[in-house]
Amino acid sequence: MGMHVMAMQFIRIVEEVRTVDDLTAAMQAVTDELGFQYFALTHHVDVLAAEGTAIRLHNYPDRWADYYDRNALGVSDPVHRASHVTSVGFCWSRMPEMIPLTAEDRRVLAMGREEGIGEGFTVPANVPGEARGSCSFASEAGQPIVVDLLPMAQLAGAFAFEGARRIWSDRGHLSKPPPPALTDRQRDCLLWAARGKTDWEISRILSVTEETVARHIKMACARYGVSKRTLLAIRALFDGTLTFTDIFRR
Amino acid sequence: MLHVMQTAARPIPDGALRAMFAARKSVFVDLLKWDVPVIDGTYEVDQFDDTHATYLVLADGEGGHLASARLLPTTRPHILDSFYGELCEEAPPQAPDVFEITRFCLDRGLSARERRTARDTLVTALAEHALAHGITAYTAIAEMPWFQQILAFGWRCRPLGLPQVIDGTMLVALSIEIDADTPTQLAAAGIVPSIDIHAAARVAA
Repeated sequence: MGMHVMAMQFIRIVEEVRTVDDLTAAMQAVTDELGFQYFALTHHVDVLAAEGTAIRLHNYPDRWADYYDRNALGVSDPVHRASHVTSVGFCWSRMPEMIPLTAEDRRVLAMGREEGIGEGFTVPANVPGEARGSCSFASEAGQPIVVDLLPMAQLAGAFAFEGARRIWSDRGHLSKPPPPALTDRQRDCLLWAARGKTDWEISRILSVTEETVARHIKMACARYGVSKRTLLAIRALFDGTLTFTDIFRR
Repeated sequence: MLHVMQTAARPIPDGALRAMFAARKSVFVDLLKWDVPVIDGTYEVDQFDDTHATYLVLADGEGGHLASARLLPTTRPHILDSFYGELCEEAPPQAPDVFEITRFCLDRGLSARERRTARDTLVTALAEHALAHGITAYTAIAEMPWFQQILAFGWRCRPLGLPQVIDGTMLVALSIEIDADTPTQLAAAGIVPSIDIHAAARVAA
């Protein structure tokens, strides 16, 4: 059967699934067709802290999954971090070229291998305004991956993540209250703060007093319910009030 | 306001279309570095911008460009069949009721929140336009991150082939099936327009 035909069958099934169990079954089947043993469909968040609101579906060995959750690896997982620097699927063996790996990263990857998880392929899935996510396929340690099937894995990953998104949003988990709105002036001040300017420097740039800048930032912090401007900038970047392009614009 | 227009691109027409060609230059040439023709150093206009193209242009109260898209009939030469046929497992779809969406453009001057609103309005307008004009499917070519967003709009998408890396970018050809359920699917995925498209739509010569 051609890869495109296999992909279309999987897509049709994923469109119809309405429950987590059905999606799990579909994922098991496609993982098998793609020549892998394991899959993981997840938002890149601390899954225990997220209390079921984040997408998470996998068939990793229990011991590994428990260890992973207990150590909140969802946020620091090198595979997840690597998926944030690319827009297309990548083999895990390429990670050292993609991101700097710390000693802890290497230890986590080695531990995964000890638990039987070998080479993998991860498809990044990012929907603006939501937590980043990905769909990974992995083989048992020592088993090669079928490189010819990776284009299909890319497509399957994209549709699988969207299928999971739909199921989780049907449960009401992905709907969030709208993010706080800043005034234009608050946003201007925050933009310059995120670019590393002090209140005094911002006051010169915007031709207002230093006290006014401090007040705008304080009010913006209050709207987001945070007390530090670093956290304010991060929250504003996450919800799209600020973009990286804004900050680095020359 | 939503403008639905058909017109020759040369000479560059006034109003919403002129603003759109300038916005396209800003997005596709200046930002995305596409190697496409530019007229007068200001307007991005290619060989498909002719009397056969239909434009959906979302403009603010002063006629400023917010978002736009170009629709090409698949019964004539279009981008998928002219340049990216290899992205399709079978022949690219060609039918009087199938149009290709190209140059989906969100103005660079918009904030992230405004972009999202403009995007959702334009996506809804595309579905409404299809329903009003007997279009049953759109085709398109997308880079992978944009493809993931297109899927997240909730409408029914099909890949026309496997993704391929072309000139260093992974691309996929897709079709979007439009029927009476599409508006409900979009709304269920949270894609809602900021304006009443029916009331605002007008057809210009």
